[in-house]
Amino acid sequence: MSERDKHLEQLREIVAEVLEMEPEEVADTADFVEEYEADSLRAIEILARIEKTYKVEIPQAELNEMRSLKAVHEVVARYAGWQD
Amino acid sequence: MRLEHAALRALLPHRYPMLLLDRVEDVTPGESLTGVKAVSGCEPCYRGIAEGQPADRYAYPASLLIESFGQGAAVLWLLSRRAGTAGLPMFTAARDVALLRPVHPGDVIRHRVRLEQVVDGAAFASGSSWVGERRVAEFDSMMAVVRAVDAIVEPRDEREEPR
Repeated sequence: MSERDKHLEQLREIVAEVLEMEPEEVADTADFVEEYEADSLRAIEILARIEKTYKVEIPQAELNEMRSLKAVHEVVARYAGWQD
Repeated sequence: MRLEHAALRALLPHRYPMLLLDRVEDVTPGESLTGVKAVSGCEPCYRGIAEGQPADRYAYPASLLIESFGQGAAVLWLLSRRAGTAGLPMFTAARDVALLRPVHPGDVIRHRVRLEQVVDGAAFASGSSWVGERRVAEFDSMMAVVRAVDAIVEPRDEREEPR
């Protein structure tokens, strides 16, 4: 499994846990708000878990971007310095 | 640092019958808190129960136990913030809470709360509740967000106490 795939799977698990779904139900590009009925509180919870897991700080301004698994991965990669 | 009841009333907007924390025995801002809630048979949650009910009918309600722990977490967060920070914590989510044993009138609950994380106006706490040496509940993640005071507290006229 590539680094990118590994990171994506870890993030998928975090998102699934917060949204109370099975990881395999979280599609890469599905919009959390439109398709999984997430609200701003769930978004903050996802952000908090990511910050704790990867020990990174992500500015709140990025929350608006983090609307799908793929988008979350891109934002986290930028702040965690992943070369994915 | 120890906080008596008056100090808690100055920090929390909750009042009867929803002020569910009696005292804070110890608090280290930014880290942890031990809060006390004594449960008595006079609690409004036991009002109106028919005579002759079994003991488990007097188990302290889980919702109130969780709220009580949450108020401990709120005090911890309030004391951990920079001086002059506005807004009040509003409880938004509890995850992986395990209720291990029932609590009854006469029990004194001790909440051991840890402040795990503060992220963009949201705080996360974890911990456990104890009666004596027995753990009665575990809290993996309690989340609160900060909201403007006037969005939560109705202005109160002290002269008009409800009867």
